[in-house]
Amino acid sequence: MPTGLDRALWRAVAAFRVLSLGYAGGLIVHHRHLYDRPVVAWSVLGGMAVWTVLATKLYAVRAPHPGALLLVIDLTLAVGAVLATRAALSADRIAAGDPTLPVAWAAAPVLAWGVAAGPLGGALAGLAVSAADLVERWSAPSEATINGVVLLLLGGLVVGYVVQLARAAQAQLARAVQIEAATRERDRLAARIHDSVLQVLALVARRGGEIGGDAAELGRLAGEQEIALRTLVASPPQATQAGSSDLRALLTPYASSTVSVAAPAESVLLSTDAARDVADAVAAALDNVARHAGAGARAWVLVEDEGTAVVVTVRDDGEGFALGRLEEAAGSGRLGVDRSIRGRIRALGGDLAVTSSPGVGTEVEMRVPRTHQG
Amino acid sequence: MVRVLVVDDHPMWRDAVARDLGDAGFDVVGTAGDGDQAVRVAKATRPEVAVLDLNLPGLSGVEVARQLAAADPPCRVLVLSASGEQADVLAAVTAGATGYLMKSASRDELVDAVRRTADGDPVFTPGLAGLLLGEYRRLATTPGGASTPELTERETEVLRFVAKGLTYKEIAERLVLSHRTVQNHVQNTLTKLQLHNKAQLVRYAMEQGLDD
Repeated sequence: MPTGLDRALWRAVAAFRVLSLGYAGGLIVHHRHLYDRPVVAWSVLGGMAVWTVLATKLYAVRAPHPGALLLVIDLTLAVGAVLATRAALSADRIAAGDPTLPVAWAAAPVLAWGVAAGPLGGALAGLAVSAADLVERWSAPSEATINGVVLLLLGGLVVGYVVQLARAAQAQLARAVQIEAATRERDRLAARIHDSVLQVLALVARRGGEIGGDAAELGRLAGEQEIALRTLVASPPQATQAGSSDLRALLTPYASSTVSVAAPAESVLLSTDAARDVADAVAAALDNVARHAGAGARAWVLVEDEGTAVVVTVRDDGEGFALGRLEEAAGSGRLGVDRSIRGRIRALGGDLAVTSSPGVGTEVEMRVPRTHQG
Repeated sequence: MVRVLVVDDHPMWRDAVARDLGDAGFDVVGTAGDGDQAVRVAKATRPEVAVLDLNLPGLSGVEVARQLAAADPPCRVLVLSASGEQADVLAAVTAGATGYLMKSASRDELVDAVRRTADGDPVFTPGLAGLLLGEYRRLATTPGGASTPELTERETEVLRFVAKGLTYKEIAERLVLSHRTVQNHVQNTLTKLQLHNKAQLVRYAMEQGLDD
Protein backbone atom coordinates (compact mmCIF):
# COMPACT_ATOMS: atom_id res chain seq x y z
CA MET A 1 0.00 0.00 0.00
CA PRO A 2 1.54 3.33 -1.04
CA THR A 3 1.26 5.91 1.72
CA GLY A 4 0.08 9.45 1.10
CA LEU A 5 3.70 10.57 1.26
CA ASP A 6 4.80 8.11 -1.48
CA ARG A 7 1.99 9.15 -3.78
CA ALA A 8 2.89 12.82 -3.29
CA LEU A 9 6.59 12.14 -4.02
CA TRP A 10 5.88 10.31 -7.28
CA ARG A 11 3.44 13.01 -8.33
CA ALA A 12 6.22 15.55 -7.79
CA VAL A 13 8.61 13.52 -10.01
CA ALA A 14 5.91 13.25 -12.67
CA ALA A 15 5.29 17.02 -12.52
CA PHE A 16 9.02 17.64 -12.93
CA ARG A 17 9.05 15.32 -15.96
CA VAL A 18 6.16 17.12 -17.68
CA LEU A 19 7.48 20.63 -16.96
CA SER A 20 11.03 19.78 -18.08
CA LEU A 21 9.56 18.19 -21.24
CA GLY A 22 7.87 21.50 -21.98
CA TYR A 23 11.17 23.34 -21.51
CA ALA A 24 13.06 20.86 -23.72
CA GLY A 25 10.32 21.08 -26.40
CA GLY A 26 10.46 24.88 -26.34
CA LEU A 27 14.23 24.89 -26.77
CA ILE A 28 14.15 22.39 -29.64
CA VAL A 29 11.49 24.45 -31.48
CA HIS A 30 13.52 27.59 -30.87
CA HIS A 31 16.79 25.99 -32.15
CA ARG A 32 15.19 24.05 -35.04
CA HIS A 33 17.26 26.00 -37.62
CA LEU A 34 20.56 25.23 -35.90
CA TYR A 35 20.32 21.43 -36.12
CA ASP A 36 22.33 19.54 -38.73
CA ARG A 37 19.78 16.75 -38.67
CA PRO A 38 16.49 18.20 -37.34
CA VAL A 39 14.78 14.82 -37.79
CA VAL A 40 16.90 13.41 -34.95
CA ALA A 41 15.88 16.28 -32.68
CA TRP A 42 12.18 15.82 -33.49
CA SER A 43 12.42 12.05 -32.98
CA VAL A 44 14.12 12.48 -29.63
CA LEU A 45 11.44 14.98 -28.55
CA GLY A 46 8.72 12.54 -29.63
CA GLY A 47 10.37 9.74 -27.70
CA MET A 48 10.68 11.93 -24.63
CA ALA A 49 6.98 12.83 -24.83
CA VAL A 50 5.91 9.19 -25.16
CA TRP A 51 8.16 8.12 -22.23
CA THR A 52 6.92 11.01 -20.08
CA VAL A 53 3.35 9.72 -20.39
CA LEU A 54 4.37 6.06 -19.97
CA ALA A 55 6.71 6.67 -17.03
CA THR A 56 4.15 8.78 -15.19
CA LYS A 57 1.63 5.94 -15.48
CA LEU A 58 4.09 3.15 -14.64
CA TYR A 59 5.56 4.89 -11.59
CA ALA A 60 2.08 5.73 -10.32
CA VAL A 61 0.91 2.13 -10.69
CA ARG A 62 3.97 0.59 -9.10
CA ALA A 63 4.41 3.03 -6.20
CA PRO A 64 5.93 2.88 -3.67
CA HIS A 65 8.46 0.39 -5.17
CA PRO A 66 8.89 1.00 -8.92
CA GLY A 67 11.30 -1.92 -9.33
CA ALA A 68 14.86 -1.98 -10.73
CA LEU A 69 13.81 -2.60 -14.34
CA LEU A 70 11.69 0.51 -14.63
CA LEU A 71 14.41 2.63 -12.98
CA VAL A 72 17.12 1.27 -15.31
CA ILE A 73 15.00 1.81 -18.45
CA ASP A 74 14.19 5.34 -17.28
CA LEU A 75 17.85 6.16 -16.72
CA THR A 76 18.97 4.51 -19.99
CA LEU A 77 16.47 6.54 -22.02
CA ALA A 78 17.64 9.77 -20.40
CA VAL A 79 21.30 8.92 -21.09
CA GLY A 80 20.35 7.97 -24.66
CA ALA A 81 18.55 11.29 -25.19
CA VAL A 82 21.64 13.17 -23.97
CA LEU A 83 23.96 11.18 -26.23
CA ALA A 84 21.62 11.66 -29.23
CA THR A 85 22.49 15.36 -29.11
CA ARG A 86 25.72 14.52 -30.98
CA ALA A 87 23.69 13.13 -33.88
CA ALA A 88 21.55 16.24 -34.17
CA LEU A 89 24.13 18.98 -33.67
CA SER A 90 27.46 19.61 -35.35
CA ALA A 91 30.61 19.33 -33.27
CA ASP A 92 31.09 23.10 -33.64
CA ARG A 93 27.76 23.95 -32.09
CA ILE A 94 28.35 21.51 -29.25
CA ALA A 95 31.72 23.07 -28.63
CA ALA A 96 30.02 26.49 -28.69
CA GLY A 97 28.03 25.35 -25.65
CA ASP A 98 24.59 24.59 -27.12
CA PRO A 99 22.39 22.73 -24.64
CA THR A 100 21.74 19.00 -24.92
CA LEU A 101 18.43 17.95 -26.48
CA PRO A 102 16.63 16.84 -23.28
CA VAL A 103 18.20 19.58 -21.04
CA ALA A 104 16.58 19.34 -17.58
CA TRP A 105 14.36 16.39 -18.60
CA ALA A 106 17.41 14.13 -18.11
CA ALA A 107 17.30 14.92 -14.39
CA ALA A 108 13.88 13.24 -13.97
CA PRO A 109 15.33 9.71 -13.51
CA VAL A 110 17.86 11.14 -11.02
CA LEU A 111 14.91 12.33 -8.92
CA ALA A 112 13.16 8.97 -9.40
CA TRP A 113 16.26 7.08 -8.22
CA GLY A 114 16.57 9.39 -5.24
CA VAL A 115 12.95 8.79 -4.25
CA ALA A 116 13.17 5.03 -4.82
CA ALA A 117 16.65 4.28 -3.44
CA GLY A 118 17.73 7.14 -1.20
CA PRO A 119 20.78 9.44 -1.45
CA LEU A 120 23.06 6.72 -2.84
CA GLY A 121 20.60 5.84 -5.62
CA GLY A 122 20.15 9.51 -6.45
CA ALA A 123 23.88 10.12 -6.58
CA LEU A 124 24.47 7.04 -8.80
CA ALA A 125 21.81 8.12 -11.30
CA GLY A 126 23.23 11.64 -11.21
CA LEU A 127 26.66 10.19 -11.98
CA ALA A 128 25.31 8.24 -14.98
CA VAL A 129 23.58 11.26 -16.54
CA SER A 130 26.65 13.43 -15.83
CA ALA A 131 28.86 10.85 -17.52
CA ALA A 132 26.67 11.10 -20.64
CA ASP A 133 26.96 14.89 -20.50
CA LEU A 134 30.75 14.70 -20.26
CA VAL A 135 31.01 12.17 -23.12
CA GLU A 136 28.83 14.52 -25.13
CA ARG A 137 31.23 17.42 -24.70
CA TRP A 138 34.45 15.48 -24.30
CA SER A 139 36.19 17.72 -26.83
CA ALA A 140 35.53 20.94 -24.91
CA PRO A 141 33.87 20.61 -21.50
CA SER A 142 32.75 24.12 -20.52
CA GLU A 143 32.19 25.57 -17.04
CA ALA A 144 28.46 25.18 -17.62
CA THR A 145 28.96 21.46 -18.15
CA ILE A 146 30.88 21.09 -14.89
CA ASN A 147 28.14 23.10 -13.16
CA GLY A 148 25.53 20.75 -14.55
CA VAL A 149 27.44 17.70 -13.33
CA VAL A 150 27.75 19.10 -9.80
CA LEU A 151 24.07 20.09 -9.77
CA LEU A 152 22.95 16.63 -10.89
CA LEU A 153 25.08 14.85 -8.29
CA LEU A 154 24.01 17.13 -5.45
CA GLY A 155 20.38 17.04 -6.62
CA GLY A 156 20.32 13.24 -6.52
CA LEU A 157 21.95 13.20 -3.09
CA VAL A 158 19.71 15.87 -1.57
CA VAL A 159 16.46 14.48 -2.97
CA GLY A 160 17.35 11.01 -1.68
CA TYR A 161 18.27 12.38 1.73
CA VAL A 162 15.17 14.55 2.11
CA VAL A 163 12.94 11.68 1.06
CA GLN A 164 14.56 9.48 3.71
CA LEU A 165 13.96 12.19 6.33
CA ALA A 166 10.34 12.59 5.28
CA ARG A 167 9.77 8.83 5.47
CA ALA A 168 11.30 8.66 8.97
CA ALA A 169 9.18 11.61 10.09
CA GLN A 170 6.10 9.93 8.71
CA ALA A 171 6.89 6.66 10.49
CA GLN A 172 7.35 8.60 13.72
CA LEU A 173 4.06 10.37 13.23
CA ALA A 174 2.33 7.04 12.61
CA ARG A 175 3.82 5.68 15.85
CA ALA A 176 2.69 8.76 17.79
CA VAL A 177 -0.82 8.40 16.41
CA GLN A 178 -0.76 4.75 17.43
CA ILE A 179 0.36 5.57 20.97
CA GLU A 180 -2.29 8.23 21.25
CA ALA A 181 -4.95 5.78 20.10
CA ALA A 182 -3.70 3.23 22.65
CA THR A 183 -3.88 5.82 25.43
CA ARG A 184 -7.41 6.75 24.43
CA GLU A 185 -8.35 3.10 24.42
CA ARG A 186 -6.86 2.67 27.89
CA ASP A 187 -8.88 5.64 29.19
CA ARG A 188 -12.02 4.21 27.64
CA LEU A 189 -11.33 0.81 29.22
CA ALA A 190 -10.64 2.43 32.58
CA ALA A 191 -13.97 4.22 32.42
CA ARG A 192 -15.79 1.01 31.47
CA ILE A 193 -14.03 -0.97 34.19
CA HIS A 194 -14.87 1.72 36.69
CA ASP A 195 -18.51 1.60 35.71
CA SER A 196 -18.97 -2.13 35.62
CA VAL A 197 -16.24 -4.52 36.69
CA LEU A 198 -15.27 -2.67 39.86
CA GLN A 199 -18.89 -2.27 40.91
CA VAL A 200 -19.57 -5.96 40.41
CA LEU A 201 -16.42 -6.94 42.33
CA ALA A 202 -17.43 -4.64 45.18
CA LEU A 203 -20.90 -6.17 45.12
CA VAL A 204 -19.49 -9.71 45.23
CA ALA A 205 -17.23 -8.70 48.12
CA ARG A 206 -20.18 -7.32 50.02
CA ARG A 207 -22.65 -10.17 49.36
CA GLY A 208 -19.96 -12.76 50.06
CA GLY A 209 -19.30 -11.24 53.45
CA GLU A 210 -23.00 -11.42 54.27
CA ILE A 211 -23.50 -15.02 53.22
CA GLY A 212 -20.44 -16.14 55.18
CA GLY A 213 -18.50 -19.43 54.97
CA ASP A 214 -16.82 -20.16 51.64
CA ALA A 215 -18.65 -17.24 50.07
CA ALA A 216 -17.00 -14.91 52.55
CA GLU A 217 -13.58 -16.08 51.36
CA LEU A 218 -14.64 -15.50 47.73
CA GLY A 219 -15.95 -12.10 48.72
CA ARG A 220 -12.66 -11.23 50.40
CA LEU A 221 -10.74 -12.22 47.26
CA ALA A 222 -13.10 -10.17 45.08
CA GLY A 223 -12.59 -7.21 47.41
CA GLU A 224 -8.82 -7.43 47.15
CA GLN A 225 -9.01 -7.65 43.36
CA GLU A 226 -11.29 -4.62 43.32
CA ILE A 227 -8.71 -2.56 45.18
CA ALA A 228 -5.84 -3.85 43.01
CA LEU A 229 -7.71 -3.20 39.77
CA ARG A 230 -8.81 0.24 40.91
CA THR A 231 -5.22 1.18 41.64
CA LEU A 232 -4.23 -0.11 38.20
CA VAL A 233 -6.79 1.82 36.15
CA ALA A 234 -6.65 4.99 38.24
CA SER A 235 -5.06 7.74 36.18
CA PRO A 236 -1.32 7.90 36.83
CA PRO A 237 -0.35 10.55 39.39
CA GLN A 238 0.39 13.93 37.86
CA ALA A 239 3.99 14.60 37.07
CA THR A 240 5.66 16.46 39.91
CA GLN A 241 8.90 18.41 39.98
CA ALA A 242 11.85 16.40 38.78
CA GLY A 243 13.45 14.32 41.51
CA SER A 244 10.47 14.34 43.84
CA SER A 245 7.63 11.86 44.33
CA ASP A 246 4.17 11.95 45.84
CA LEU A 247 4.36 9.72 48.92
CA ARG A 248 0.60 9.06 48.71
CA ALA A 249 0.98 7.40 45.32
CA LEU A 250 3.53 5.00 46.83
CA LEU A 251 1.46 4.17 49.91
CA THR A 252 -2.15 3.90 48.65
CA PRO A 253 -1.44 0.56 46.91
CA TYR A 254 -0.97 -0.98 50.38
CA ALA A 255 -4.67 -0.41 51.16
CA SER A 256 -6.60 -3.68 51.45
CA SER A 257 -9.44 -5.20 53.40
CA THR A 258 -7.25 -5.15 56.53
CA VAL A 259 -5.14 -2.04 55.86
CA SER A 260 -6.52 1.51 55.75
CA VAL A 261 -4.45 4.35 54.26
CA ALA A 262 -5.38 7.91 55.29
CA ALA A 263 -3.70 10.90 53.64
CA PRO A 264 -4.32 14.53 52.66
CA ALA A 265 -6.17 15.31 49.43
CA GLU A 266 -3.09 17.09 48.09
CA SER A 267 0.19 15.50 47.09
CA VAL A 268 2.83 14.92 49.79
CA LEU A 269 6.14 15.53 48.06
CA LEU A 270 9.45 14.07 49.17
CA SER A 271 12.63 13.56 47.20
CA THR A 272 12.22 10.38 45.14
CA ASP A 273 14.83 8.49 47.19
CA ALA A 274 13.36 9.57 50.54
CA ALA A 275 9.82 8.73 49.39
CA ARG A 276 10.95 5.26 48.35
CA ASP A 277 12.74 4.68 51.66
CA VAL A 278 9.68 5.77 53.64
CA ALA A 279 7.46 3.52 51.53
CA ASP A 280 9.85 0.61 52.15
CA ALA A 281 9.77 1.32 55.89
CA VAL A 282 5.95 1.32 55.84
CA ALA A 283 5.99 -1.96 53.91
CA ALA A 284 8.31 -3.44 56.54
CA ALA A 285 6.04 -2.21 59.33
CA LEU A 286 2.98 -3.72 57.66
CA ASP A 287 4.90 -6.94 57.14
CA ASN A 288 5.64 -6.89 60.86
CA VAL A 289 1.92 -6.56 61.57
CA ALA A 290 1.09 -9.50 59.32
CA ARG A 291 3.77 -11.68 60.98
CA HIS A 292 3.51 -10.82 64.63
CA ALA A 293 0.30 -8.95 65.46
CA GLY A 294 -1.80 -12.08 65.35
CA ALA A 295 -4.56 -13.38 63.08
CA GLY A 296 -7.22 -10.87 62.09
CA ALA A 297 -5.16 -7.86 63.12
CA ARG A 298 -5.93 -4.74 61.14
CA ALA A 299 -3.61 -1.85 60.39
CA TRP A 300 -4.01 1.87 59.73
CA VAL A 301 -1.51 4.06 57.89
CA LEU A 302 -1.77 7.84 58.40
CA VAL A 303 0.23 10.29 56.26
CA GLU A 304 0.53 13.86 57.56
CA ASP A 305 2.33 16.77 55.94
CA GLU A 306 3.66 19.20 58.53
CA GLY A 307 5.47 21.37 56.04
CA THR A 308 8.98 21.00 57.45
CA ALA A 309 8.49 17.27 58.04
CA VAL A 310 6.35 14.38 56.90
CA VAL A 311 4.88 12.09 59.56
CA VAL A 312 3.75 8.57 58.74
CA THR A 313 2.08 6.46 61.42
CA VAL A 314 1.41 2.73 61.20
CA ARG A 315 -0.90 1.42 63.91
CA ASP A 316 -2.31 -2.07 64.41
CA ASP A 317 -4.89 -3.52 66.78
CA GLY A 318 -2.94 -6.76 67.28
CA GLU A 319 -1.41 -8.41 70.30
CA GLY A 320 1.19 -5.76 71.03
CA PHE A 321 3.97 -6.30 73.56
CA ALA A 322 5.34 -4.78 76.77
CA LEU A 323 7.81 -2.03 75.86
CA GLY A 324 10.24 -3.23 78.56
CA ARG A 325 10.68 -6.32 76.47
CA LEU A 326 11.66 -4.36 73.37
CA GLU A 327 15.33 -5.32 73.52
CA GLU A 328 14.45 -8.91 74.34
CA ALA A 329 12.06 -8.95 71.40
CA ALA A 330 14.71 -7.48 69.16
CA GLY A 331 17.13 -10.15 70.32
CA SER A 332 14.68 -12.92 69.54
CA GLY A 333 14.31 -11.65 65.99
CA ARG A 334 10.75 -10.62 66.47
CA LEU A 335 11.63 -7.00 65.88
CA GLY A 336 14.20 -7.71 63.21
CA VAL A 337 12.11 -5.81 60.73
CA ASP A 338 11.85 -2.95 63.19
CA ARG A 339 15.59 -2.49 63.04
CA SER A 340 15.45 -2.19 59.27
CA ILE A 341 12.68 0.40 59.64
CA ARG A 342 14.72 2.33 62.19
CA GLY A 343 17.80 2.21 59.97
CA ARG A 344 15.93 3.61 56.95
CA ILE A 345 14.33 6.46 58.88
CA ARG A 346 17.55 7.39 60.71
CA ALA A 347 19.41 7.50 57.39
CA LEU A 348 16.92 10.15 56.26
CA GLY A 349 17.65 12.20 59.39
CA GLY A 350 14.29 11.24 60.86
CA ASP A 351 12.99 9.88 64.16
CA LEU A 352 11.14 6.71 64.95
CA ALA A 353 8.83 6.24 67.94
CA VAL A 354 7.38 2.86 68.85
CA THR A 355 4.57 2.55 71.38
CA SER A 356 3.00 -0.74 72.28
CA SER A 357 1.25 -2.51 75.07
CA PRO A 358 -0.10 -6.05 75.34
CA GLY A 359 -3.62 -6.46 74.04
CA VAL A 360 -3.79 -2.93 72.60
CA GLY A 361 -1.53 -3.16 69.58
CA THR A 362 1.54 -1.37 68.32
CA GLU A 363 2.05 2.07 66.87
CA VAL A 364 5.09 3.10 64.85
CA GLU A 365 5.48 6.81 64.14
CA MET A 366 8.07 7.87 61.57
CA ARG A 367 8.97 11.55 61.24
CA VAL A 368 11.12 12.49 58.25
CA PRO A 369 12.38 16.07 57.85
CA ARG A 370 12.08 17.80 54.53
CA THR A 371 15.56 18.94 53.70
CA HIS A 372 15.49 20.09 50.11
CA GLN A 373 12.03 21.13 49.11
CA GLY A 374 9.49 23.19 51.05
CA MET B 1 -39.31 5.26 59.30
CA VAL B 2 -36.36 7.15 57.96
CA ARG B 3 -36.87 8.26 54.35
CA VAL B 4 -33.82 7.44 52.21
CA LEU B 5 -32.73 8.32 48.66
CA VAL B 6 -30.12 6.11 46.93
CA VAL B 7 -28.00 7.73 44.19
CA ASP B 8 -25.59 5.62 42.12
CA ASP B 9 -25.04 5.35 38.38
CA HIS B 10 -24.70 1.57 38.48
CA PRO B 11 -28.15 -0.05 38.51
CA MET B 12 -27.00 -3.32 40.06
CA TRP B 13 -25.24 -1.61 42.93
CA ARG B 14 -28.09 0.88 43.38
CA ASP B 15 -30.68 -1.89 43.65
CA ALA B 16 -28.56 -3.91 46.09
CA VAL B 17 -28.10 -0.92 48.39
CA ALA B 18 -31.79 0.02 48.15
CA ARG B 19 -32.81 -3.56 48.94
CA ASP B 20 -30.43 -3.81 51.91
CA LEU B 21 -31.73 -0.55 53.36
CA GLY B 22 -35.35 -1.60 52.76
CA ASP B 23 -34.72 -4.92 54.53
CA ALA B 24 -33.15 -3.05 57.44
CA GLY B 25 -36.34 -1.06 57.97
CA PHE B 26 -35.63 2.14 56.04
CA ASP B 27 -38.15 3.69 53.70
CA VAL B 28 -36.37 3.99 50.36
CA VAL B 29 -38.43 6.76 48.78
CA GLY B 30 -36.45 7.01 45.59
CA THR B 31 -33.38 6.10 43.57
CA ALA B 32 -31.46 8.06 40.95
CA GLY B 33 -28.78 7.21 38.37
CA ASP B 34 -27.37 10.66 37.63
CA GLY B 35 -26.87 14.01 39.36
CA ASP B 36 -29.72 15.95 37.81
CA GLN B 37 -32.17 13.12 38.45
CA ALA B 38 -30.99 12.97 42.07
CA VAL B 39 -31.84 16.63 42.65
CA ARG B 40 -35.23 16.24 40.93
CA VAL B 41 -36.19 13.09 42.85
CA ALA B 42 -35.06 14.67 46.13
CA LYS B 43 -37.34 17.68 45.52
CA ALA B 44 -40.29 15.39 44.89
CA THR B 45 -39.72 12.84 47.67
CA ARG B 46 -38.04 14.92 50.42
CA PRO B 47 -35.74 12.23 51.81
CA GLU B 48 -34.09 12.67 55.22
CA VAL B 49 -30.91 10.86 54.17
CA ALA B 50 -29.30 10.51 50.73
CA VAL B 51 -26.78 7.72 50.14
CA LEU B 52 -24.67 9.30 47.42
CA ASP B 53 -22.02 7.97 45.03
CA LEU B 54 -19.73 10.77 43.81
CA ASN B 55 -18.93 9.30 40.43
CA LEU B 56 -22.06 10.43 38.58
CA PRO B 57 -22.90 11.43 35.00
CA GLY B 58 -24.40 14.92 34.58
CA LEU B 59 -24.38 17.14 37.68
CA SER B 60 -21.33 16.19 39.76
CA GLY B 61 -21.67 14.27 43.02
CA VAL B 62 -20.11 17.20 44.91
CA GLU B 63 -22.69 19.62 43.52
CA VAL B 64 -25.52 17.18 44.33
CA ALA B 65 -24.23 16.98 47.92
CA ARG B 66 -24.20 20.79 48.14
CA GLN B 67 -27.75 21.18 46.80
CA LEU B 68 -29.24 18.39 48.93
CA ALA B 69 -27.59 19.67 52.11
CA ALA B 70 -28.88 23.18 51.40
CA ALA B 71 -32.43 22.01 50.63
CA ASP B 72 -35.39 22.91 52.84
CA PRO B 73 -35.97 20.74 54.82
CA PRO B 74 -32.29 19.73 54.67
CA CYS B 75 -31.36 16.26 53.54
CA ARG B 76 -28.38 14.66 55.27
CA VAL B 77 -25.86 13.25 52.83
CA LEU B 78 -23.86 10.07 53.36
CA VAL B 79 -21.20 9.67 50.69
CA LEU B 80 -20.81 6.02 49.69
CA SER B 81 -17.91 6.09 47.31
CA ALA B 82 -15.01 4.20 45.86
CA SER B 83 -11.51 4.76 47.12
CA GLY B 84 -9.24 6.88 44.96
CA GLU B 85 -11.63 9.83 44.77
CA GLN B 86 -10.11 11.59 47.76
CA ALA B 87 -10.32 15.14 46.45
CA ASP B 88 -14.00 14.65 45.59
CA VAL B 89 -14.74 13.18 49.02
CA LEU B 90 -13.18 16.19 50.74
CA ALA B 91 -15.09 18.56 48.45
CA ALA B 92 -18.40 16.77 49.12
CA VAL B 93 -17.86 16.85 52.86
CA THR B 94 -16.95 20.55 52.91
CA ALA B 95 -20.00 21.16 50.73
CA GLY B 96 -22.25 19.68 53.41
CA ALA B 97 -22.14 15.87 53.40
CA THR B 98 -21.92 14.57 56.96
CA GLY B 99 -20.59 11.10 56.38
CA TYR B 100 -18.34 9.01 54.19
CA LEU B 101 -18.22 5.27 53.79
CA MET B 102 -16.18 3.25 51.31
CA LYS B 103 -18.02 0.93 48.96
CA SER B 104 -16.11 -1.97 50.44
CA ALA B 105 -18.03 -1.51 53.72
CA SER B 106 -20.26 -4.38 54.83
CA ARG B 107 -24.04 -4.26 54.88
CA ASP B 108 -24.10 -3.88 58.66
CA GLU B 109 -21.68 -0.96 58.48
CA LEU B 110 -23.86 0.67 55.81
CA VAL B 111 -27.07 0.23 57.79
CA ASP B 112 -25.38 1.57 60.92
CA ALA B 113 -23.95 4.53 58.99
CA VAL B 114 -27.35 5.48 57.51
CA ARG B 115 -28.92 5.27 60.96
CA ARG B 116 -26.23 7.52 62.47
CA THR B 117 -26.50 9.97 59.58
CA ALA B 118 -30.27 10.16 60.14
CA ASP B 119 -29.59 10.91 63.84
CA GLY B 120 -27.33 13.79 62.82
CA ASP B 121 -24.05 12.13 63.83
CA PRO B 122 -21.17 12.41 61.40
CA VAL B 123 -19.89 9.15 59.94
CA PHE B 124 -16.10 9.17 59.73
CA THR B 125 -13.69 6.72 58.23
CA PRO B 126 -9.98 6.94 59.02
CA GLY B 127 -9.56 8.06 55.40
CA LEU B 128 -11.91 11.02 55.87
CA ALA B 129 -10.15 12.02 59.10
CA GLY B 130 -6.83 12.00 57.21
CA LEU B 131 -8.34 14.24 54.52
CA LEU B 132 -9.65 16.72 57.11
CA LEU B 133 -6.29 16.86 58.91
CA GLY B 134 -4.65 17.64 55.58
CA GLU B 135 -7.25 20.29 54.73
CA TYR B 136 -6.81 22.13 58.06
CA ARG B 137 -3.06 22.05 57.51
CA ARG B 138 -3.51 23.47 54.02
CA LEU B 139 -5.80 26.24 55.27
CA ALA B 140 -3.31 27.10 58.03
CA THR B 141 -0.52 27.60 55.51
CA THR B 142 -2.61 29.57 52.97
CA PRO B 143 -3.10 33.24 53.84
CA GLY B 144 -6.82 33.69 54.49
CA GLY B 145 -7.10 36.21 57.29
CA ALA B 146 -8.89 35.83 60.60
CA SER B 147 -11.70 33.71 59.16
CA THR B 148 -9.47 30.66 58.61
CA PRO B 149 -10.85 27.79 60.70
CA GLU B 150 -8.47 26.17 63.16
CA LEU B 151 -8.65 23.02 65.22
CA THR B 152 -8.10 23.08 68.97
CA GLU B 153 -5.34 20.83 70.27
CA ARG B 154 -7.93 18.42 71.59
CA GLU B 155 -9.78 18.31 68.28
CA THR B 156 -6.56 17.60 66.40
CA GLU B 157 -5.76 14.85 68.89
CA VAL B 158 -9.18 13.25 68.45
CA LEU B 159 -9.07 13.54 64.67
CA ARG B 160 -5.62 11.90 64.57
CA PHE B 161 -6.94 9.00 66.65
CA VAL B 162 -9.87 8.58 64.21
CA ALA B 163 -7.42 8.61 61.30
CA LYS B 164 -5.42 5.87 63.01
CA GLY B 165 -8.49 3.66 63.25
CA LEU B 166 -9.48 4.04 66.89
CA THR B 167 -13.20 3.84 67.69
CA TYR B 168 -14.90 6.65 69.63
CA LYS B 169 -15.02 4.29 72.62
CA GLU B 170 -11.28 3.65 72.47
CA ILE B 171 -10.57 7.38 72.09
CA ALA B 172 -12.82 8.16 75.06
CA GLU B 173 -10.92 5.64 77.18
CA ARG B 174 -7.50 6.95 76.17
CA LEU B 175 -8.35 10.60 76.75
CA VAL B 176 -10.62 9.95 79.74
CA LEU B 177 -13.55 11.69 78.10
CA SER B 178 -17.17 10.73 77.63
CA HIS B 179 -18.22 9.08 74.37
CA ARG B 180 -20.47 12.07 73.69
CA THR B 181 -17.59 14.54 74.11
CA VAL B 182 -15.48 12.66 71.59
CA GLN B 183 -18.41 12.69 69.19
CA ASN B 184 -18.80 16.45 69.68
CA HIS B 185 -15.13 17.05 68.94
CA VAL B 186 -15.41 15.08 65.69
CA GLN B 187 -18.61 16.92 64.77
CA ASN B 188 -16.88 20.27 65.38
CA THR B 189 -14.01 19.48 63.02
CA LEU B 190 -16.58 18.95 60.26
CA THR B 191 -18.90 21.87 61.11
CA LYS B 192 -16.07 24.42 61.19
CA LEU B 193 -14.98 23.43 57.72
CA GLN B 194 -18.52 23.49 56.32
CA LEU B 195 -19.23 26.93 57.85
CA HIS B 196 -15.97 28.25 56.45
CA ASN B 197 -16.89 26.89 53.03
CA LYS B 198 -20.33 28.51 53.19
CA ALA B 199 -18.83 31.85 54.30
CA GLN B 200 -16.36 31.67 51.42
CA LEU B 201 -19.22 31.11 48.97
CA VAL B 202 -21.22 34.04 50.39
CA ARG B 203 -18.18 36.32 50.29
CA TYR B 204 -17.45 35.26 46.74
CA ALA B 205 -21.06 35.95 45.75
CA MET B 206 -20.97 39.42 47.36
CA GLU B 207 -17.70 40.28 45.67
CA GLN B 208 -19.15 39.21 42.34
CA GLY B 209 -22.36 41.17 43.02
CA LEU B 210 -24.44 38.04 42.73
CA ASP B 211 -26.25 38.44 46.04
CA ASP B 212 -29.79 39.74 45.85
